[in-house]
Amino acid sequence: MIAALGVAELKLLLRNRTAATLAVLMPLAAGMFFAFTMNGEEGGWTVIVTLQLMFSFGFTVYVTVTTALTARRQDLYLKRLRTGAASDVVVLTGILLPVVVLGLAQALVLLGISVAAGAPMPARPDLLALALVGGAAISCAAGVCTSGLTGTAELAQITTAPFFFAMVVGGLISTDGVPDVRVLLLPGSGLGTLIQAAWGGPTERIGLAMLSTAAWIAAATALSVRFFRWDPRG
Amino acid sequence: MVTMRKPVIEVAGLRCRYGDFEAVRGVDFEVLEGELFALLGTNGAGKTTTMETLEGLRAPFAGTVRVMGVDPWRERAALRARTGIMLQDSGFPADLTAREMVRLWGVTSGRRATEDVLERLDLAHRRDVRIKQLSGGERRRLDLALAVLGRPEVLFLDEPTTGLDPESRQRTWEVVRGLLGDGTTIVLTTHYLEEAESLAHRLAIMHEGVVAVSGALVDVLAAQPARISFDLPGRLDVTALPMLAGDVVHRPSGRVEVRTAELQDDLAVLLGWARREGLRLGRIRANHASLEDVFHSARTGKEVVAA
Repeated sequence: MIAALGVAELKLLLRNRTAATLAVLMPLAAGMFFAFTMNGEEGGWTVIVTLQLMFSFGFTVYVTVTTALTARRQDLYLKRLRTGAASDVVVLTGILLPVVVLGLAQALVLLGISVAAGAPMPARPDLLALALVGGAAISCAAGVCTSGLTGTAELAQITTAPFFFAMVVGGLISTDGVPDVRVLLLPGSGLGTLIQAAWGGPTERIGLAMLSTAAWIAAATALSVRFFRWDPRG
Repeated sequence: MVTMRKPVIEVAGLRCRYGDFEAVRGVDFEVLEGELFALLGTNGAGKTTTMETLEGLRAPFAGTVRVMGVDPWRERAALRARTGIMLQDSGFPADLTAREMVRLWGVTSGRRATEDVLERLDLAHRRDVRIKQLSGGERRRLDLALAVLGRPEVLFLDEPTTGLDPESRQRTWEVVRGLLGDGTTIVLTTHYLEEAESLAHRLAIMHEGVVAVSGALVDVLAAQPARISFDLPGRLDVTALPMLAGDVVHRPSGRVEVRTAELQDDLAVLLGWARREGLRLGRIRANHASLEDVFHSARTGKEVVAA
Protein backbone atom coordinates (compact mmCIF):
# COMPACT_ATOMS: atom_id res chain seq x y z
CA MET A 1 0.00 0.00 0.00
CA ILE A 2 2.82 2.37 0.88
CA ALA A 3 4.46 1.69 -2.48
CA ALA A 4 1.22 2.34 -4.42
CA LEU A 5 0.59 5.57 -2.50
CA GLY A 6 4.21 6.62 -2.97
CA VAL A 7 4.17 6.04 -6.73
CA ALA A 8 0.93 8.02 -7.04
CA GLU A 9 2.38 10.84 -4.96
CA LEU A 10 5.56 10.97 -7.03
CA LYS A 11 3.48 11.23 -10.21
CA LEU A 12 1.41 14.01 -8.71
CA LEU A 13 4.53 15.87 -7.63
CA LEU A 14 6.26 15.63 -10.99
CA ARG A 15 3.10 16.45 -12.98
CA ASN A 16 2.53 19.69 -11.11
CA ARG A 17 4.92 22.15 -12.73
CA THR A 18 5.15 24.59 -9.80
CA ALA A 19 5.69 21.89 -7.22
CA ALA A 20 8.19 20.03 -9.39
CA THR A 21 10.22 23.19 -10.08
CA LEU A 22 10.31 24.13 -6.42
CA ALA A 23 11.19 20.62 -5.29
CA VAL A 24 13.64 19.56 -7.98
CA LEU A 25 15.08 22.37 -10.09
CA MET A 26 15.31 25.16 -7.52
CA PRO A 27 17.47 23.37 -4.93
CA LEU A 28 19.64 21.80 -7.66
CA ALA A 29 20.23 25.17 -9.29
CA ALA A 30 20.90 26.89 -5.97
CA GLY A 31 23.18 24.07 -4.83
CA MET A 32 25.22 24.24 -8.04
CA PHE A 33 25.39 28.00 -7.74
CA PHE A 34 26.82 27.68 -4.23
CA ALA A 35 29.34 25.05 -5.34
CA PHE A 36 30.66 26.97 -8.33
CA THR A 37 30.56 30.60 -7.22
CA MET A 38 31.38 30.61 -3.52
CA ASN A 39 34.93 30.39 -2.24
CA GLY A 40 35.58 26.88 -1.02
CA GLU A 41 39.00 27.60 0.47
CA GLU A 42 39.81 27.24 4.18
CA GLY A 43 36.72 25.54 5.51
CA GLY A 44 34.46 27.42 3.12
CA TRP A 45 33.22 24.05 1.82
CA THR A 46 31.44 23.43 5.12
CA VAL A 47 29.31 26.50 4.52
CA ILE A 48 28.61 25.47 0.92
CA VAL A 49 27.67 21.91 1.81
CA THR A 50 25.49 23.13 4.69
CA LEU A 51 23.67 25.53 2.37
CA GLN A 52 23.18 22.77 -0.19
CA LEU A 53 21.72 20.39 2.36
CA MET A 54 19.54 23.07 3.93
CA PHE A 55 18.07 23.87 0.53
CA SER A 56 17.47 20.19 -0.19
CA PHE A 57 15.75 19.67 3.15
CA GLY A 58 14.07 23.05 3.16
CA PHE A 59 12.65 23.14 -0.35
CA THR A 60 12.59 19.55 -1.50
CA VAL A 61 11.39 18.05 1.76
CA TYR A 62 9.87 20.68 4.08
CA VAL A 63 8.13 23.01 1.61
CA THR A 64 7.10 20.11 -0.64
CA VAL A 65 5.64 18.07 2.21
CA THR A 66 3.70 21.10 3.45
CA THR A 67 2.41 22.01 -0.01
CA ALA A 68 1.60 18.43 -1.02
CA LEU A 69 -0.32 17.57 2.14
CA THR A 70 -2.23 20.87 2.02
CA ALA A 71 -3.12 20.38 -1.66
CA ARG A 72 -4.20 16.78 -1.08
CA ARG A 73 -6.34 17.86 1.84
CA GLN A 74 -7.87 20.65 -0.23
CA ASP A 75 -8.68 18.14 -2.99
CA LEU A 76 -10.26 15.95 -0.27
CA TYR A 77 -7.88 13.23 -1.42
CA LEU A 78 -6.73 12.69 2.17
CA LYS A 79 -10.33 12.23 3.23
CA ARG A 80 -10.86 9.73 0.41
CA LEU A 81 -7.75 7.79 1.42
CA ARG A 82 -9.19 7.47 4.92
CA THR A 83 -12.21 5.71 3.41
CA GLY A 84 -9.81 3.02 2.19
CA ALA A 85 -8.09 0.23 4.05
CA ALA A 86 -4.81 2.09 4.64
CA SER A 87 -4.28 3.29 8.21
CA ASP A 88 -3.47 6.94 8.87
CA VAL A 89 0.20 6.12 9.42
CA VAL A 90 0.38 4.18 6.15
CA VAL A 91 -1.28 7.03 4.22
CA LEU A 92 1.15 9.61 5.63
CA THR A 93 4.16 7.36 5.10
CA GLY A 94 3.12 6.73 1.51
CA ILE A 95 2.85 10.43 0.79
CA LEU A 96 6.04 11.40 2.61
CA LEU A 97 8.24 8.61 1.28
CA PRO A 98 8.82 9.81 -2.31
CA VAL A 99 9.52 13.32 -1.05
CA VAL A 100 12.13 12.07 1.41
CA VAL A 101 13.74 9.86 -1.22
CA LEU A 102 13.81 12.80 -3.61
CA GLY A 103 15.35 15.08 -0.95
CA LEU A 104 18.04 12.58 -0.01
CA ALA A 105 18.86 11.82 -3.65
CA GLN A 106 19.18 15.50 -4.30
CA ALA A 107 21.42 16.01 -1.29
CA LEU A 108 23.71 13.23 -2.52
CA VAL A 109 23.82 14.65 -6.05
CA LEU A 110 24.74 18.08 -4.71
CA LEU A 111 27.43 16.60 -2.47
CA GLY A 112 28.80 14.86 -5.54
CA ILE A 113 28.83 18.14 -7.43
CA SER A 114 30.70 19.83 -4.58
CA VAL A 115 33.29 17.04 -4.51
CA ALA A 116 33.66 17.32 -8.26
CA ALA A 117 34.15 21.08 -7.85
CA GLY A 118 36.99 20.49 -5.42
CA ALA A 119 35.45 19.86 -1.98
CA PRO A 120 37.28 17.32 0.17
CA MET A 121 35.59 14.05 1.10
CA PRO A 122 34.07 14.11 4.61
CA ALA A 123 36.43 12.88 7.33
CA ARG A 124 33.50 11.45 9.33
CA PRO A 125 30.90 10.14 6.81
CA ASP A 126 28.96 8.67 9.76
CA LEU A 127 28.23 12.18 11.03
CA LEU A 128 27.20 13.28 7.55
CA ALA A 129 24.79 10.31 7.36
CA LEU A 130 23.38 11.32 10.75
CA ALA A 131 22.85 14.87 9.47
CA LEU A 132 21.07 13.56 6.37
CA VAL A 133 18.71 11.33 8.33
CA GLY A 134 18.10 13.99 10.99
CA GLY A 135 17.51 16.69 8.40
CA ALA A 136 15.00 14.58 6.49
CA ALA A 137 13.17 13.70 9.72
CA ILE A 138 12.97 17.29 11.01
CA SER A 139 11.76 18.54 7.63
CA CYS A 140 9.10 15.85 7.33
CA ALA A 141 7.73 16.32 10.81
CA ALA A 142 7.76 20.11 10.48
CA GLY A 143 6.04 19.84 7.07
CA VAL A 144 3.20 17.71 8.45
CA CYS A 145 2.76 20.20 11.29
CA THR A 146 2.90 23.29 9.04
CA SER A 147 0.37 21.83 6.62
CA GLY A 148 -2.03 21.54 9.54
CA LEU A 149 -1.77 25.31 9.92
CA THR A 150 -1.99 26.05 6.19
CA GLY A 151 -5.40 26.49 4.57
CA THR A 152 -4.48 26.38 0.89
CA ALA A 153 -1.51 25.21 -1.16
CA GLU A 154 -0.85 28.83 -2.22
CA LEU A 155 -0.60 29.92 1.42
CA ALA A 156 2.13 27.33 1.98
CA GLN A 157 4.58 29.76 0.33
CA ILE A 158 4.03 32.07 3.30
CA THR A 159 3.54 29.63 6.14
CA THR A 160 6.71 27.72 5.35
CA ALA A 161 8.93 30.82 5.37
CA PRO A 162 9.63 31.16 9.13
CA PHE A 163 10.76 27.59 9.73
CA PHE A 164 12.67 27.47 6.45
CA PHE A 165 14.70 30.57 7.30
CA ALA A 166 15.22 29.50 10.90
CA MET A 167 16.65 26.24 9.60
CA VAL A 168 18.96 27.86 7.05
CA VAL A 169 20.15 30.52 9.49
CA GLY A 170 20.59 27.95 12.27
CA GLY A 171 22.59 25.76 9.94
CA LEU A 172 24.83 28.61 8.76
CA ILE A 173 25.60 30.11 12.18
CA SER A 174 26.50 26.74 13.62
CA THR A 175 29.11 26.03 10.95
CA ASP A 176 31.22 28.94 12.17
CA GLY A 177 33.46 27.21 14.77
CA VAL A 178 31.88 26.91 18.22
CA PRO A 179 29.24 29.66 18.53
CA ASP A 180 27.09 30.53 21.53
CA VAL A 181 25.40 27.35 22.73
CA ARG A 182 21.97 29.02 22.44
CA VAL A 183 22.34 28.74 18.65
CA LEU A 184 21.45 25.07 19.11
CA LEU A 185 17.90 26.16 19.85
CA LEU A 186 17.44 26.87 16.13
CA PRO A 187 16.16 23.94 14.04
CA GLY A 188 19.02 23.60 11.54
CA SER A 189 21.85 24.19 14.01
CA GLY A 190 22.23 20.58 15.10
CA LEU A 191 22.58 19.66 11.44
CA GLY A 192 25.13 22.43 10.76
CA THR A 193 27.18 21.31 13.75
CA LEU A 194 27.17 17.71 12.52
CA ILE A 195 28.14 18.72 8.98
CA GLN A 196 30.99 20.85 10.26
CA ALA A 197 32.22 17.97 12.39
CA ALA A 198 31.90 15.58 9.46
CA TRP A 199 34.43 17.72 7.54
CA GLY A 200 36.92 17.77 10.40
CA GLY A 201 35.47 20.68 12.38
CA PRO A 202 35.15 20.84 16.18
CA THR A 203 33.51 17.72 17.62
CA GLU A 204 32.75 18.70 21.24
CA ARG A 205 29.18 19.74 20.40
CA ILE A 206 28.20 16.49 18.62
CA GLY A 207 26.21 15.20 21.60
CA LEU A 208 24.34 18.48 22.00
CA ALA A 209 23.77 18.69 18.26
CA MET A 210 22.15 15.27 18.22
CA LEU A 211 20.07 16.24 21.25
CA SER A 212 18.93 19.45 19.52
CA THR A 213 18.00 17.53 16.36
CA ALA A 214 16.13 14.84 18.31
CA ALA A 215 14.30 17.51 20.32
CA TRP A 216 13.19 19.29 17.13
CA ILE A 217 11.97 16.02 15.62
CA ALA A 218 10.06 15.21 18.81
CA ALA A 219 8.56 18.71 19.09
CA ALA A 220 7.51 18.82 15.44
CA THR A 221 5.97 15.35 15.68
CA ALA A 222 4.04 16.28 18.82
CA LEU A 223 2.78 19.48 17.18
CA SER A 224 1.81 17.49 14.07
CA VAL A 225 -0.39 15.24 16.14
CA ARG A 226 -2.01 18.37 17.59
CA PHE A 227 -2.40 20.42 14.38
CA PHE A 228 -2.60 18.04 11.43
CA ARG A 229 -6.05 17.77 9.80
CA TRP A 230 -7.37 15.25 7.30
CA ASP A 231 -10.45 17.17 6.31
CA PRO A 232 -10.62 20.90 5.47
CA ARG A 233 -13.86 21.00 7.44
CA GLY A 234 -11.88 20.17 10.58
CA MET B 1 -44.18 -5.64 7.06
CA VAL B 2 -42.70 -8.68 8.77
CA THR B 3 -39.16 -9.46 7.82
CA MET B 4 -36.56 -11.95 8.93
CA ARG B 5 -33.69 -9.89 7.65
CA LYS B 6 -31.17 -8.79 10.21
CA PRO B 7 -30.01 -5.23 10.71
CA VAL B 8 -26.62 -4.53 9.14
CA ILE B 9 -26.40 -0.99 10.49
CA GLU B 10 -27.71 0.06 13.89
CA VAL B 11 -27.77 3.68 15.03
CA ALA B 12 -28.98 4.56 18.52
CA GLY B 13 -29.12 7.97 20.18
CA LEU B 14 -26.52 9.38 17.78
CA ARG B 15 -25.35 12.92 18.46
CA CYS B 16 -22.59 14.74 16.53
CA ARG B 17 -21.01 18.10 17.18
CA TYR B 18 -18.82 20.60 15.37
CA GLY B 19 -17.46 22.56 18.33
CA ASP B 20 -20.53 23.98 20.05
CA PHE B 21 -22.86 23.30 17.13
CA GLU B 22 -24.83 20.09 17.41
CA ALA B 23 -25.42 18.94 13.83
CA VAL B 24 -27.06 15.63 14.78
CA ARG B 25 -29.25 15.67 17.86
CA GLY B 26 -30.33 12.17 18.74
CA VAL B 27 -30.92 9.89 15.77
CA ASP B 28 -32.04 6.26 15.76
CA PHE B 29 -32.51 3.94 12.81
CA GLU B 30 -31.63 0.53 11.44
CA VAL B 31 -30.65 -0.56 7.97
CA LEU B 32 -31.56 -4.15 7.09
CA GLU B 33 -29.51 -6.58 5.09
CA GLY B 34 -29.89 -6.19 1.34
CA GLU B 35 -32.08 -3.11 1.40
CA LEU B 36 -31.57 0.40 0.14
CA PHE B 37 -32.06 2.90 2.92
CA ALA B 38 -32.42 6.53 1.87
CA LEU B 39 -31.39 9.33 4.20
CA LEU B 40 -33.15 12.49 3.08
CA GLY B 41 -33.31 16.08 4.26
CA THR B 42 -32.49 19.63 3.33
CA ASN B 43 -28.94 20.99 3.33
CA GLY B 44 -27.73 21.19 6.90
CA ALA B 45 -30.21 18.60 8.17
CA GLY B 46 -27.34 16.39 9.35
CA LYS B 47 -27.36 13.72 6.61
CA THR B 48 -23.71 13.91 5.65
CA THR B 49 -22.58 14.15 9.26
CA THR B 50 -24.60 11.01 10.00
CA MET B 51 -23.13 9.30 6.93
CA GLU B 52 -19.58 10.22 7.94
CA THR B 53 -20.18 8.72 11.36
CA LEU B 54 -21.44 5.48 9.80
CA GLU B 55 -18.40 5.49 7.50
CA GLY B 56 -16.06 5.76 10.49
CA LEU B 57 -14.72 9.16 9.48
CA ARG B 58 -15.89 10.91 12.64
CA ALA B 59 -16.50 9.83 16.21
CA PRO B 60 -20.03 10.23 17.56
CA PHE B 61 -20.35 12.79 20.34
CA ALA B 62 -22.86 10.47 22.00
CA GLY B 63 -24.82 7.35 21.14
CA THR B 64 -23.77 4.15 19.43
CA VAL B 65 -23.24 3.16 15.81
CA ARG B 66 -22.67 -0.41 14.63
CA VAL B 67 -21.93 -1.49 11.07
CA MET B 68 -21.97 -5.27 10.64
CA GLY B 69 -21.70 -5.43 14.41
CA VAL B 70 -18.55 -3.32 14.55
CA ASP B 71 -17.90 0.21 15.82
CA PRO B 72 -16.87 1.99 12.59
CA TRP B 73 -14.81 4.65 14.39
CA ARG B 74 -12.78 2.37 16.65
CA GLU B 75 -12.49 -0.55 14.25
CA ARG B 76 -12.27 1.24 10.95
CA ALA B 77 -9.67 -1.17 9.60
CA ALA B 78 -11.91 -4.20 10.20
CA LEU B 79 -14.67 -2.72 8.06
CA ARG B 80 -12.79 -1.18 5.18
CA ALA B 81 -12.47 -4.13 2.86
CA ARG B 82 -16.20 -4.85 3.30
CA THR B 83 -17.58 -1.34 2.76
CA GLY B 84 -17.61 0.91 -0.29
CA ILE B 85 -17.86 4.64 0.27
CA MET B 86 -18.76 7.41 -2.15
CA LEU B 87 -18.28 10.73 -0.39
CA GLN B 88 -20.18 13.86 -1.32
CA ASP B 89 -16.95 15.24 -2.78
CA SER B 90 -15.00 12.73 -4.82
CA GLY B 91 -11.59 13.67 -3.45
CA PHE B 92 -9.59 12.99 -6.59
CA PRO B 93 -6.08 14.29 -7.14
CA ALA B 94 -6.40 16.27 -10.38
CA ASP B 95 -3.24 14.96 -12.05
CA LEU B 96 -3.81 11.20 -11.98
CA THR B 97 -5.59 9.42 -14.82
CA ALA B 98 -8.78 7.42 -14.33
CA ARG B 99 -6.90 4.16 -14.85
CA GLU B 100 -4.18 5.14 -12.35
CA MET B 101 -6.85 6.04 -9.82
CA VAL B 102 -8.55 2.65 -10.25
CA ARG B 103 -5.24 0.84 -9.76
CA LEU B 104 -4.34 2.90 -6.71
CA TRP B 105 -7.78 2.35 -5.24
CA GLY B 106 -7.59 -1.38 -5.90
CA VAL B 107 -4.63 -1.43 -3.51
CA THR B 108 -5.62 1.17 -0.91
CA SER B 109 -9.25 0.14 -0.59
CA GLY B 110 -8.22 -3.39 0.30
CA ARG B 111 -10.40 -4.68 -2.54
CA ARG B 112 -9.23 -5.97 -5.87
CA ALA B 113 -9.06 -3.57 -8.80
CA THR B 114 -10.44 -4.66 -12.10
CA GLU B 115 -10.48 -2.21 -14.95
CA ASP B 116 -13.81 -3.55 -16.17
CA VAL B 117 -15.48 -1.24 -13.63
CA LEU B 118 -14.54 1.55 -16.02
CA GLU B 119 -16.43 -0.24 -18.75
CA ARG B 120 -19.46 -0.79 -16.55
CA LEU B 121 -19.69 2.94 -16.00
CA ASP B 122 -18.93 3.88 -19.59
CA LEU B 123 -15.52 5.33 -18.83
CA ALA B 124 -13.30 2.88 -20.69
CA HIS B 125 -12.61 5.32 -23.53
CA ARG B 126 -11.52 7.95 -20.97
CA ARG B 127 -9.22 5.72 -18.94
CA ASP B 128 -5.98 7.55 -19.78
CA VAL B 129 -7.36 11.03 -19.37
CA ARG B 130 -6.28 13.03 -16.33
CA ILE B 131 -9.04 13.42 -13.79
CA LYS B 132 -8.95 17.20 -14.06
CA GLN B 133 -9.98 16.87 -17.72
CA LEU B 134 -12.98 14.65 -16.97
CA SER B 135 -16.43 16.24 -16.87
CA GLY B 136 -18.31 16.47 -13.59
CA GLY B 137 -20.50 13.54 -14.56
CA GLU B 138 -17.52 11.40 -15.57
CA ARG B 139 -15.81 12.13 -12.27
CA ARG B 140 -18.90 11.11 -10.35
CA ARG B 141 -19.09 7.88 -12.35
CA LEU B 142 -15.42 7.18 -11.66
CA ASP B 143 -16.21 7.79 -8.01
CA LEU B 144 -19.00 5.20 -8.13
CA ALA B 145 -16.73 2.78 -9.98
CA LEU B 146 -14.21 3.01 -7.12
CA ALA B 147 -16.89 2.64 -4.45
CA VAL B 148 -18.22 -0.58 -5.97
CA LEU B 149 -14.78 -2.05 -6.67
CA GLY B 150 -14.52 -5.62 -5.40
CA ARG B 151 -18.25 -5.78 -4.55
CA PRO B 152 -18.47 -4.45 -0.98
CA GLU B 153 -21.16 -5.84 1.33
CA VAL B 154 -22.25 -2.38 2.44
CA LEU B 155 -22.21 0.68 0.23
CA PHE B 156 -22.53 4.30 1.34
CA LEU B 157 -23.54 6.72 -1.41
CA ASP B 158 -23.60 10.40 -0.43
CA GLU B 159 -25.48 12.28 -3.16
CA PRO B 160 -24.20 10.03 -5.96
CA THR B 161 -26.23 11.68 -8.72
CA THR B 162 -25.97 15.37 -7.82
CA GLY B 163 -25.00 17.31 -10.94
CA LEU B 164 -25.42 14.35 -13.30
CA ASP B 165 -27.28 14.55 -16.60
CA PRO B 166 -30.36 12.30 -16.93
CA GLU B 167 -28.47 9.64 -18.84
CA SER B 168 -25.66 9.36 -16.28
CA ARG B 169 -28.26 9.28 -13.55
CA GLN B 170 -30.02 6.38 -15.25
CA ARG B 171 -26.73 4.53 -15.53
CA THR B 172 -26.03 5.10 -11.85
CA TRP B 173 -29.46 3.74 -10.99
CA GLU B 174 -28.83 0.65 -13.12
CA VAL B 175 -25.58 -0.01 -11.26
CA VAL B 176 -27.32 0.52 -7.91
CA ARG B 177 -30.17 -1.84 -8.82
CA GLY B 178 -27.64 -4.42 -9.98
CA LEU B 179 -25.86 -4.22 -6.64
CA LEU B 180 -29.16 -4.57 -4.76
CA GLY B 181 -29.88 -7.63 -6.87
CA ASP B 182 -26.56 -9.09 -5.69
CA GLY B 183 -27.56 -8.51 -2.06
CA THR B 184 -25.52 -5.39 -1.30
CA THR B 185 -26.88 -3.21 1.52
CA ILE B 186 -26.94 0.44 0.49
CA VAL B 187 -27.31 3.71 2.38
CA LEU B 188 -28.06 6.61 0.04
CA THR B 189 -28.48 10.32 0.53
CA THR B 190 -30.00 12.38 -2.23
CA HIS B 191 -31.77 15.64 -2.95
CA TYR B 192 -33.77 14.00 -5.73
CA LEU B 193 -36.91 12.67 -4.12
CA GLU B 194 -37.98 10.74 -7.20
CA GLU B 195 -34.64 8.94 -6.97
CA ALA B 196 -35.38 7.87 -3.41
CA GLU B 197 -38.93 6.99 -4.38
CA SER B 198 -37.80 4.69 -7.15
CA LEU B 199 -34.86 3.05 -5.34
CA ALA B 200 -35.47 3.02 -1.58
CA HIS B 201 -37.06 0.25 0.45
CA ARG B 202 -37.02 2.29 3.62
CA LEU B 203 -36.07 5.84 4.43
CA ALA B 204 -35.60 8.51 7.05
CA ILE B 205 -36.14 12.21 6.51
CA MET B 206 -33.92 14.34 8.70
CA HIS B 207 -34.71 17.87 9.71
CA GLU B 208 -32.50 20.05 11.91
CA GLY B 209 -30.50 17.13 13.25
CA VAL B 210 -33.35 14.76 14.09
CA VAL B 211 -35.34 12.17 12.16
CA ALA B 212 -38.70 13.74 11.33
CA VAL B 213 -40.13 10.83 9.36
CA SER B 214 -39.00 7.25 9.00
CA GLY B 215 -40.22 3.87 7.88
CA ALA B 216 -40.83 1.74 4.84
CA LEU B 217 -41.42 3.79 1.71
CA VAL B 218 -44.93 2.40 1.20
CA ASP B 219 -45.94 3.12 4.80
CA VAL B 220 -44.47 6.60 4.77
CA LEU B 221 -46.36 7.40 1.59
CA ALA B 222 -49.58 5.80 2.87
CA ALA B 223 -49.44 7.93 6.03
CA GLN B 224 -49.74 11.09 3.97
CA PRO B 225 -53.16 12.11 2.65
CA ALA B 226 -53.77 11.78 -1.07
CA ARG B 227 -54.91 14.78 -3.07
CA ILE B 228 -57.80 15.39 -5.47
CA SER B 229 -57.96 18.68 -7.30
CA PHE B 230 -60.28 20.13 -9.95
CA ASP B 231 -61.82 23.36 -11.20
CA LEU B 232 -65.38 23.96 -10.05
CA PRO B 233 -67.72 25.50 -12.63
CA GLY B 234 -67.80 29.26 -11.98
CA ARG B 235 -71.24 29.69 -10.47
CA LEU B 236 -70.73 27.00 -7.81
CA ASP B 237 -69.36 27.28 -4.28
CA VAL B 238 -67.62 24.50 -2.31
CA THR B 239 -70.67 24.33 -0.02
CA ALA B 240 -72.43 22.65 -2.93
CA LEU B 241 -70.04 19.67 -2.80
CA PRO B 242 -71.23 16.34 -1.35
CA MET B 243 -69.92 15.02 2.01
CA LEU B 244 -66.29 13.89 1.64
CA ALA B 245 -63.95 12.14 4.06
CA GLY B 246 -61.12 14.55 3.30
CA ASP B 247 -60.60 18.28 3.94
CA VAL B 248 -61.71 20.64 1.21
CA VAL B 249 -59.86 23.84 0.39
CA HIS B 250 -61.00 26.35 -2.21
CA ARG B 251 -57.96 28.12 -3.62
CA PRO B 252 -58.21 31.77 -4.72
CA SER B 253 -57.38 30.54 -8.23
CA GLY B 254 -60.75 28.80 -8.22
CA ARG B 255 -59.19 25.38 -7.92
CA VAL B 256 -60.63 23.04 -5.31
CA GLU B 257 -58.28 20.76 -3.41
CA VAL B 258 -59.30 17.76 -1.32
CA ARG B 259 -56.73 16.19 0.97
CA THR B 260 -57.97 12.77 1.91
CA ALA B 261 -56.95 9.44 3.39
CA GLU B 262 -59.78 7.80 1.39
CA LEU B 263 -58.83 8.61 -2.17
CA GLN B 264 -60.95 5.98 -3.90
CA ASP B 265 -64.14 6.61 -1.88
CA ASP B 266 -63.96 10.38 -2.06
CA LEU B 267 -63.23 10.28 -5.75
CA ALA B 268 -66.23 8.00 -6.36
CA VAL B 269 -68.54 10.26 -4.34
CA LEU B 270 -67.29 13.32 -6.13
CA LEU B 271 -67.59 11.90 -9.63
CA GLY B 272 -71.03 10.41 -8.87
CA TRP B 273 -72.23 13.79 -7.62
CA ALA B 274 -70.91 15.62 -10.68
CA ARG B 275 -72.60 13.14 -12.97
CA ARG B 276 -75.96 13.43 -11.19
CA GLU B 277 -75.76 17.22 -11.25
CA GLY B 278 -74.67 17.23 -14.88
CA LEU B 279 -71.48 19.17 -14.03
CA ARG B 280 -68.13 19.06 -15.73
CA LEU B 281 -65.22 19.34 -13.30
CA GLY B 282 -62.22 20.87 -14.99
CA ARG B 283 -58.73 19.36 -15.08
CA ILE B 284 -59.37 16.63 -12.54
CA ARG B 285 -56.29 15.20 -10.87
CA ALA B 286 -56.09 12.51 -8.22
CA ASN B 287 -52.74 11.55 -6.73
CA HIS B 288 -51.43 9.48 -3.91
CA ALA B 289 -48.97 11.37 -1.76
CA SER B 290 -45.52 11.64 -3.26
CA LEU B 291 -42.31 11.72 -1.30
CA GLU B 292 -42.27 15.41 -2.11
CA ASP B 293 -45.44 15.89 -0.02
CA VAL B 294 -43.95 13.87 2.85
CA PHE B 295 -40.73 15.85 2.61
CA HIS B 296 -42.56 19.13 2.66
CA SER B 297 -44.63 18.28 5.72
CA ALA B 298 -41.49 17.02 7.49
CA ARG B 299 -39.81 20.35 6.85
CA THR B 300 -42.76 22.35 8.05
CA GLY B 301 -42.59 20.42 11.30
CA LYS B 302 -45.66 18.24 11.14
CA GLU B 303 -44.54 14.92 12.55
CA VAL B 304 -45.42 11.90 10.48
CA VAL B 305 -44.35 8.50 11.75
CA ALA B 306 -45.07 5.38 9.80
CA ALA B 307 -44.39 2.28 11.84
